[in-house]
Amino acid sequence: MAFVLLVGLGVAAAFLFAASGVYNVAASRGHWWIVDQFLRFGMENSVKARAPETSPNLDDADLIRLGAAHFHGGCAFCHGAPGSRPSPVVQHMLPSPPDLAERVDRWTDGELFWLVKHGLKYAGMPAWPAQDRDDEIWSVVAFLRQLPDLDARHYEELALAEVQVDGGGGRELATAESDPDGVGACARCHGDAGRGPQTKLVPRLQGQSRDWLARSLRDYAEGARHSGIMQPLAAALKPEAIEKLATYYAGLPPLAPDDDPRRGSVEEGQKLATSGDPGAEIPACISCHGSDGSPDYPRLAGQPARYLSAQLAAWRNGKGGTSPTHAIMAPIAARLTDQQIADVSAFFASQRVVGHPGLAP
Amino acid sequence: MNQSVLEPNGAEAERIADLALMLFGGAAIIFFGVMALAAASVWGGVSVRRAIASERMIVAAGIAFPVITLTALLFYSLWLMRANIQGNATPPAGRIEVAAEQWWWRITYVEPDGRRISEANELRLPVGREVELVLTSPDVIHSLWIPAIGGKLDMIPGRTNRMRVSIDGPGIYRGQCAEYCGGPHALMAFDVIALEATEFDAWVRGDVAGGSTETVRGRGIFEESGCGSCHAVRGANASGLVGPDLSRVGGRRTIAAGTLPTSRENLTRFIVDGQSIKPGNLMPPFGLFAAEDVDAISAYLMSLQ
Repeated sequence: MAFVLLVGLGVAAAFLFAASGVYNVAASRGHWWIVDQFLRFGMENSVKARAPETSPNLDDADLIRLGAAHFHGGCAFCHGAPGSRPSPVVQHMLPSPPDLAERVDRWTDGELFWLVKHGLKYAGMPAWPAQDRDDEIWSVVAFLRQLPDLDARHYEELALAEVQVDGGGGRELATAESDPDGVGACARCHGDAGRGPQTKLVPRLQGQSRDWLARSLRDYAEGARHSGIMQPLAAALKPEAIEKLATYYAGLPPLAPDDDPRRGSVEEGQKLATSGDPGAEIPACISCHGSDGSPDYPRLAGQPARYLSAQLAAWRNGKGGTSPTHAIMAPIAARLTDQQIADVSAFFASQRVVGHPGLAP
Repeated sequence: MNQSVLEPNGAEAERIADLALMLFGGAAIIFFGVMALAAASVWGGVSVRRAIASERMIVAAGIAFPVITLTALLFYSLWLMRANIQGNATPPAGRIEVAAEQWWWRITYVEPDGRRISEANELRLPVGREVELVLTSPDVIHSLWIPAIGGKLDMIPGRTNRMRVSIDGPGIYRGQCAEYCGGPHALMAFDVIALEATEFDAWVRGDVAGGSTETVRGRGIFEESGCGSCHAVRGANASGLVGPDLSRVGGRRTIAAGTLPTSRENLTRFIVDGQSIKPGNLMPPFGLFAAEDVDAISAYLMSLQ
């Protein structure tokens, strides 16, 4: 009885405390030391209790480059980056986003993964926009592991690739006709004329059909295709910008196949891609994805094998979105074995694109 | 359309109907006899009740009668169905391969010269000619049952079952998969169209129609959209073996294995959102095409007869 009374009194006191307005919620004031310590203690234990214990191999150049390029566009504004300070606006948040180069060593890989994936309540750290894309989140963790050792020059090499961002002259900057951060957002990962993607985890857009490029951007913008990296970028694009980007990449000549070692068998992949496997209800890939397929479908020749495998695996696991193209590929990918995915990815990666007007005949 | 055991239209179905009549008739007689004895044992006089309770009655009605009746019935049914049990000495006058797949029927007409004509989901049979159906399954156990024409026979992976059918008169009959085979099993049916033998031969050997100027656009979209990776159309750039052959889809009474009547609208519905019509079927929904493009594909398919 006394216990119930005590709890009741406690609840009433807490209510009065909140109702009175005594507590100051101003970000400008900061927390009392004891409150700050308490919140930090609770946060750290919550993360430790929930973080996964295992992680994929993070010492992976493709993962690190993808994570770096995303970090530059998605994280650096608040957390800063080697050679650039965070915005004064975010420095006046409470808590203010920490300089990650100093902090990442306090966390395990799994804890960093959990933080990037789920964000932090009341701290301004957002959750990853595509909760089913753990593969993307690991790329950010892989980059964060490199961050403490990077100086400004090495950071730019990683995050900006070789994209020279020319913001135009003073007039363009003054009238916002040019956004120094926006220019190069695509090319940081996907490359541009004559320069392939920096990482084998993203598709080569050069020479793809305009329809497919525009549709993909719209699907990302509407959230029908899931990616924590692509969704925010595509959502910020106006319809005209989507058309312009699609036209630009569609007009670039396709790139020659990379010469990476193939994980699967090109011969087996060729059989599957050209004849399918009717017994396993797998249609021939090239009926849709060959050089004379509908412009609604992507051309797969010359695409990086790792990207193709990752996409097929995501579909097979029921992840990646709700778009109409997803609805077509997901049930087909679900019938593929690991070996078939490796083989067919190796085959397409080894193929040269034919029939693009930008190529010599 | 006939899908009834009680309206037989083929030799085997007639035998089954005879057997069923005998079985149900005999069972009815026995049922009323037992009821009469039960009534007599309650309301009958002392001598009647004593007779019913006697040991002789139990031996006669409880042991001898069922043994004799069931033995007679067994021999009668063996004699009646002897054609099914003994196999056939004479070669059949025609051969049609039927493979049941989840959840449709792959049908191949084998011509006397060995030519094979692929069709799907509708079985055409010549009247008055004994045809052998060669029944297989590549995935799970299915069962072919055309109640008006014959008994059912399972289609078992790794095994080939053979069934002779002969049909008495032209008409349209309905058959179904009669063994639960997963998700849309209930939507795995087909029509059987019995044609006069000359008409049947002309149809089997006939060319695929279609390809009018009106449907050229639809054919182009059909081909570039990759439909041919799963479906075959003779004469078009489409030779897929994953799904049903569409060479004469416009001439079939139904689409999706007896699920919907064949029409341009229904074809469009199935292409765009087949999963809500036949949940679990293996065709992905093609929701990304413009409405007029899908309509053009449907118009092209309707022209294939």
